[in-house]
Formats: sequence, structure tokens, C-alpha cells
Amino acid sequence: METRVFYPFIKKIIPVVVTIIIVLWLYIAYGALEYSFNNLAEFFRLTLEHFFLVIVSMTAAVSIGVSLGTIITRKGFDRFGPAIMAMVNVWQSVPSLGVIALAYGFLPIIGLSGIGVIPGLIALFFHAVAPIVRNTYAGIQGVSEDVIEAATGMGMTQKQILFKIELSNALPVIMGGIRTATAIIVGTAPLAFLIGGGGLGFWIFTGIALMDMGIMMAGAVPVALIAMLFDYTLARLEKIIISKGIQAEEYQEV
Amino acid sequence: MAIMLSLQEVTKIYPGAEHIKAVDSLSFDLEEGEICTLVGPSGCGKTTAMKMINRLIPMTSGKILIDDQNISRMDTIELRRNIGYVIQNIGLFPNMTIAENIATIPKLKGWDHDRITEKVESLLEIVNLPAEEFMERYPKELSGGQQQRIGVARGMAADPPIMLMDEPFGAVDPINREHLQNEFLKIQEKVRKTIVFVTHDIDEAIKMGDKICLLKDGSLIQFDSPEKMLTEPANDFVRDFLGGDRTLKRLNLLQLKSAMRPDPPVIMQEESPEKAKTMLTELEAENLIVVDQERLLIGYVDRDALTKMADTVGKVTLSTEAFLPATSSLKDGLSEIFTHDELGYLIVVEEDKKVVGILKEEDIKNILRK
Repeated sequence: METRVFYPFIKKIIPVVVTIIIVLWLYIAYGALEYSFNNLAEFFRLTLEHFFLVIVSMTAAVSIGVSLGTIITRKGFDRFGPAIMAMVNVWQSVPSLGVIALAYGFLPIIGLSGIGVIPGLIALFFHAVAPIVRNTYAGIQGVSEDVIEAATGMGMTQKQILFKIELSNALPVIMGGIRTATAIIVGTAPLAFLIGGGGLGFWIFTGIALMDMGIMMAGAVPVALIAMLFDYTLARLEKIIISKGIQAEEYQEV
Repeated sequence: MAIMLSLQEVTKIYPGAEHIKAVDSLSFDLEEGEICTLVGPSGCGKTTAMKMINRLIPMTSGKILIDDQNISRMDTIELRRNIGYVIQNIGLFPNMTIAENIATIPKLKGWDHDRITEKVESLLEIVNLPAEEFMERYPKELSGGQQQRIGVARGMAADPPIMLMDEPFGAVDPINREHLQNEFLKIQEKVRKTIVFVTHDIDEAIKMGDKICLLKDGSLIQFDSPEKMLTEPANDFVRDFLGGDRTLKRLNLLQLKSAMRPDPPVIMQEESPEKAKTMLTELEAENLIVVDQERLLIGYVDRDALTKMADTVGKVTLSTEAFLPATSSLKDGLSEIFTHDELGYLIVVEEDKKVVGILKEEDIKNILRK
């Protein structure tokens, strides 16, 4: 019994605490804490902008990604499935900086500005939507044929099968895609500054340009903490919304 | 009995394979409470035929009536909700608890909460899984056999008059399969559903079916009771399909009471040994079955036992294991005759051990020759 209580402690809690201590130490040691205090109003503004970028692009990516991933599994649309998946896979291999640069270069062609918050959001959205589409598609395809046959034969409608059976059972895979997308968005968001999207990237790139580690850390450490916060929140959310019948053993342990 | 399910000239031709009739004008009637096993070599159309009944596969021509109503005029979803459906790979919903799985259709039909709970509990009891232990568990926590029982319970949840079962015990190991078959027959005695049961296993078809529908290349070869099919196969194909041991297969089908001799040689335990000796001589028998006043089995006496000094037969009675309930199969009876041969015959009893007859080896031979 003792090892059972102790094991998750060693496995999860200690590494997390150690990471946070290192990050905070970097934050204080380079004078980032002091810099942030002296520029408190700007700190809040940049943090808010950052959250705005992440949450808006994330919401769009989840709603459109899950919808698109679902539609291409439906009868009549399923023939587009492989083509869209191929596109999504290529798209996902484009590096973050490339996506930002593409938004900057491409948007003026269709008559939009390549500079500002909107291009930032569009770039983040396109970068994050790929894993969500992919995992939604794969997750629904992965639901066993027998389960679908039983549901159909019992007299469930297509809609009931989609919501009560297919999406519910695909949820662990879909949530995996959403977590990947979140990691991508949180990691790419600082780059949005490069095309005028704002956010904590401002301090990071200013710090780099001025070779001032304090300013850079004042941007980088909150970005890292925001990433951790999102990942933790999503992990908790998974535990709540995914049925215990299909949760991986790992989640039931603690 | 009323006809519950009627197939009339049902034909299926798959698009792109116009020259092949997957099911070729299949007709049969099924009475309420009967199990019909659809059996035949693979590709004979048995599964296709079954799936046309709940319209998972649309038929090309013909008519299917359920309780005199044409199914093609019914709403598909409504039709399916009134037909239980159990498949080989079970297809339990992994995201739902056992209770939720069973309650799926009752819930969609809008039953109230109490009625659903009551139904789930009673179904779990019927399939021999304690409700309080299983209701809240998930499919992955159950063994294959347990999952299959839940599959059957789920199929019966909305009280459908008809059930379709597609090789329901096909994926279970042989020992468990026999157990599940017996259990299912017991359940069927209680619920009396009209069942279409697809199997490729002729032994299962004989065991489970009140009627067997034997198909080949989409056509009906013979539709009869198992006994009739075994004694009067329609042609060589049926004979081959039933196998060279079809006479022995009847052993499984027939019960002891159909072959036993009534009026067994019994004596009450209070009688005197002298009377027993006289009876033995009169009947030219080797031994007598000893019973009490209720005619319940006590044991037996033979001449040797009667040479001992005693004032009643009861005191010199020998015990015996050579008895079986009248509802046992002749196969079990034959086996028991060979195992316990101290009497030279088998005592046939009712559930409470009341002696109703005896069965000798030659009685089995006689009935099989019929």
C-alpha cells in the first residue's frame, strides 16, 4: 500500500516542484521579478494580450477542428477524409516561425493586413487546428465497428450514435489533440509579437535585442507558467469529462 | 400460437453482383416464443437474411411481417427499438456503465427512471450477475462471458417481442459457450421471446432451435424442427451438413422421459424382505428400487442384500447413484448407464427424486431406430 501512495508522489509531484523552483529561481536571479514590478501595468497588459491570443485562437481551433474532423467521418463526406488528413499532416509539419511568416506574407495577397492582432490569431489558429482535426478524425474512426453496429441495430439514430457513442468514445484521442494544439499555441504565441500581435513575446524579443536577460526572463517565465497552467487545466478537464470506462489506467491512479 | 414473424419470398441481390442472389426467395413463419436457428456454410446468406429483419440490410424484394405488420411500412428506428439485437462481438459501449448500456433503449423510449432501474436490476438477475456488484462497472472490467451476458440483457431491455442474435456465443470458448447456451435456454423458458439465431455450428443450431432453417447459397434447403431434420433430412446436402453422427445427435435432443419405461419395479421401505423376494421372483428381476411413502428414491435391494437378517427392506437397502431427472438428455442418460451399471438400468426421477420410470440401454436403441 505504501508504495502505491508514494509512487505517484515521486513520479509526478517532485518533478513538477523541481521545475517550478528552477523557473522561479531564473526569474528572480536575473532580476525579471524586479523588472516586472517596475512595469506592473505593462506586465498586466502583455499578459492579458497573451491570454487573449491563446484563448481566442484555441476556441476557434477546437470548435472548427472538432467539427471538421467529425464531418469528414460522415457518410458522403468521408471521401474527402484522406485528402484533408494529408493536407493537415503537411500543414502540421510547418514550423511555428514559418506559420507566422506565411500569415504575414499571405494575408496581404487576399487583401487583409499582414500586421496586427488578427494575423496573429489567424496564424495561431491555423497552426493549432491541424492536430485537432487529425485526432478527431482518428478518434472517431477508431471506435469499434461492433459498437456502431450494435448501436445501429438497437435503434439509435445517426445523431445519437454520433454524440452518445462516437464522440464520447473518441474523447480521449480528441483531448490528446487539443492538448497538443494548446502546447503549440502557447509555444507559438510569443512569436505573434513579430507581426504585431502583442503579448509577452514583446519582452522576450526586446530582451534578446537588448541582450538583457532580465527583460527576456520577465517575458519567458510567465509564458512557461501559462503553458503549465493550460496543460494542468486540460489534464483535470480530461479526468472530469472522459468516462471512467475509457480513461487510460494512468489517469485513475492518483 | 400466433405467427409472430413471417418472411415471404424475401430476396437480396447486392448491387454490383446482380447474378448472385445472396438470399433467394426465402419464406418461413415463426410462432410466438420460438427460436429459429439460421444455419448453413459460410456465405449461405444467413446473416444477410437476419439483418433484413431489422432493416440493417435493405431487401431487394419480398415481404417481412412482424405480428402481421409489414416492416417496410414501419419507421426504421421504431422497428429496431422493438427488436432485440445481440451480435457476436457484443459491442458493449465502453464509455457507459453496465447499467447505462442496458438502459440505452429504455431511456431513448422515454421510460421513467424508476422503471428503468427496476428493469436493469431484474435483467441482471436473469443473466445471473448480481446487480449491486455489476451495475456501476464498465465493460472493460468484465470477462468475455460476462460481457456476452450483458449483451443479451441489453438486447432484452426494452421487452422486444423479437430478438435477433448473430452468433452470440461464437467468440466464447467451448466450455463457457455450453454454459451460456444452457443459461440462455433457461432464460428463454422464462421470457419466451421469438428469436432468430444465426450460427454456423450445426450442434448449436440443433441445441438452441425449436426450428432450424438450413440455407445454402441463399436458398432455403430445409425448415423443420431439429428432431424432424435429424430423422428426415431433405436431401444429401442436409445429411452431409448434419454429419455422419446425426443419429447420435438426437441423443442430445431427446429427454429421458421420451424413452423411459413407466411402472418401475419399486418396493416401499416398510415392506418385509420376504415380500421383496417374492416380487423379485414374480418379476424375474435382479433388483428392486426402494422408495418411501411419497415414492421418493431411497436406494435398491438385490438378492444378496435380502439374505441378511432384517425385519424391513429399508434396513438392507443399498444406496445408488444411478438416477437422473426425467428432463435430462438421452446423451447424459446413456453416459450414466455406462458409469453406474450396478442396476443394469437407470432410475428416472422427477426434480424431487420421485421415481417415475427406468431406462435401459435397449430403450435408447429403440427410440433412435424410430
